[in-house]
Amino acid sequence: MLLPDHEFLKPASLAEGLALLAAGPGARVLAGGTDVVFNMRGRLFTPPAVVSVRSLPELQGLHERPDGSLDIGAGCRLTDLLADPLLARHPALRTALRAVASRHVRNLATLGGNLCLDTRCWFTNQSEDWRAARGPCLKTGIDACHALHGSPVCVALNNADTPPALIALGATVTLASVRGERQVALRDFYRDDGIDHTVRQPDELLTRVIVPPTTDRVVFLKETARQGMDFAYGTIAARADGHGARAGRITLVLGSLTTAPVVLDAITTRLVADGLGDDAIDAACAGLRAALGPLTNLYSPAAYKRELARTLLRRALLALREM
Amino acid sequence: MDAKRETPPAGRSRVLRLVVNGDLHEVLVTPRHTLLDVIRGELGLKGTKEGCTTGSCGVCTVHNDRGEAILSCLTPALEWDGESITTIEGLESGGRLAPIQQAFVEHHAVQCGYCTPGVIMSAQAILNATPEPAEADINDGLAGVICRCTGHIKVKEAVRNAWRYAGGAGPAPGGSHD
Repeated sequence: MLLPDHEFLKPASLAEGLALLAAGPGARVLAGGTDVVFNMRGRLFTPPAVVSVRSLPELQGLHERPDGSLDIGAGCRLTDLLADPLLARHPALRTALRAVASRHVRNLATLGGNLCLDTRCWFTNQSEDWRAARGPCLKTGIDACHALHGSPVCVALNNADTPPALIALGATVTLASVRGERQVALRDFYRDDGIDHTVRQPDELLTRVIVPPTTDRVVFLKETARQGMDFAYGTIAARADGHGARAGRITLVLGSLTTAPVVLDAITTRLVADGLGDDAIDAACAGLRAALGPLTNLYSPAAYKRELARTLLRRALLALREM
Repeated sequence: MDAKRETPPAGRSRVLRLVVNGDLHEVLVTPRHTLLDVIRGELGLKGTKEGCTTGSCGVCTVHNDRGEAILSCLTPALEWDGESITTIEGLESGGRLAPIQQAFVEHHAVQCGYCTPGVIMSAQAILNATPEPAEADINDGLAGVICRCTGHIKVKEAVRNAWRYAGGAGPAPGGSHD
């Protein structure tokens, strides 16, 4: 099946690309294509125009800033990042990068693309014919949600692997438009809405990802149905300073369970006070239900998601304690 | 193929300049074509297969100019203007199978054969990146391609033993099956 008809635009510079995004309402940004082309083939995306940004020079390259932070071009392929010696200082980020799909996909896919990966739902990530039989939903045109009946917002899952790791690392992203540039902390980038799932405006382009330096312990874990290539049932990124059970600052981010990655602030406050002892870890896991709120049955039952979140949290905290 | 049955509007057609297996092709394509549509439909290179077209199965695997495996179904053809790719047809030289192809024959790493071009291109990409691949390299490189007939055991044997068929001397004596 051919892709839906559209205008294919390939700007030569960032300025030209931003002008195209400002001029063309509904234009879709295309980088590696592994998500956008998939969604175009399923007619979930039928944009009037596609703006290809993969080759923009301003989105390339990875370098270290004077303050030690890494400045990563959003157009860098995941494969190139995995091969870059500068990434060796962030083993948890490397784990998350390698967890994305397969080599075949990582050879095309970009970091910016993974951060902007569209949300997934088993009622929308289907062929056009399948969706037609089921009827439309919030994402495809009417006021109804098949995944969570009565839901006023789309509850599709954010299934990207790199956001939890980069949120834990305190990354910020640069959003550029003809109106100027702004920096957004990645933890504030995602919204609890499966349709407008990031704060990026239609005329904005995610150009750079800044990862501050750290000597903290960081882990990333991903649980899937099978080894090899798969979207996650759940992921966790966990970070702590200090050593052993002592930590003055802890960051915990759960991914793939909800519409936006979940930063567990309330739980970490208690863990910092109590330390990473067995009892404190038990208490943290027990407190997870309240922190997560209602969950959907998308891709796995809500009860499984809760149990998985507890398991991931326990494994991550135990791993941090050993580091 | 659908690409042939549907008639895209000609207004948005553009000339795509693409080097495939060392030969420069100039083809009229529209934004609606993926790289796979061009390889099979326009160039008639039917070795590259169309499977799921959603990035799950890997049978459409070809190589970019770095010899890396990419999915031709998930990338618009016009994205590849001025670039160079290799398809399964480009692996043999002068009528002689590439070592990895010979290894697939010797190790019976084929059942129905539909996935085989994609699996071989994935296997060759592993060898391009790591001439002496470890088990983890092989698993990682084959994770994106799926054989639905059988499994990956024979395929992995073939990848591990491809070196035996290098050097242009044909199959190694005895054709090991370790």
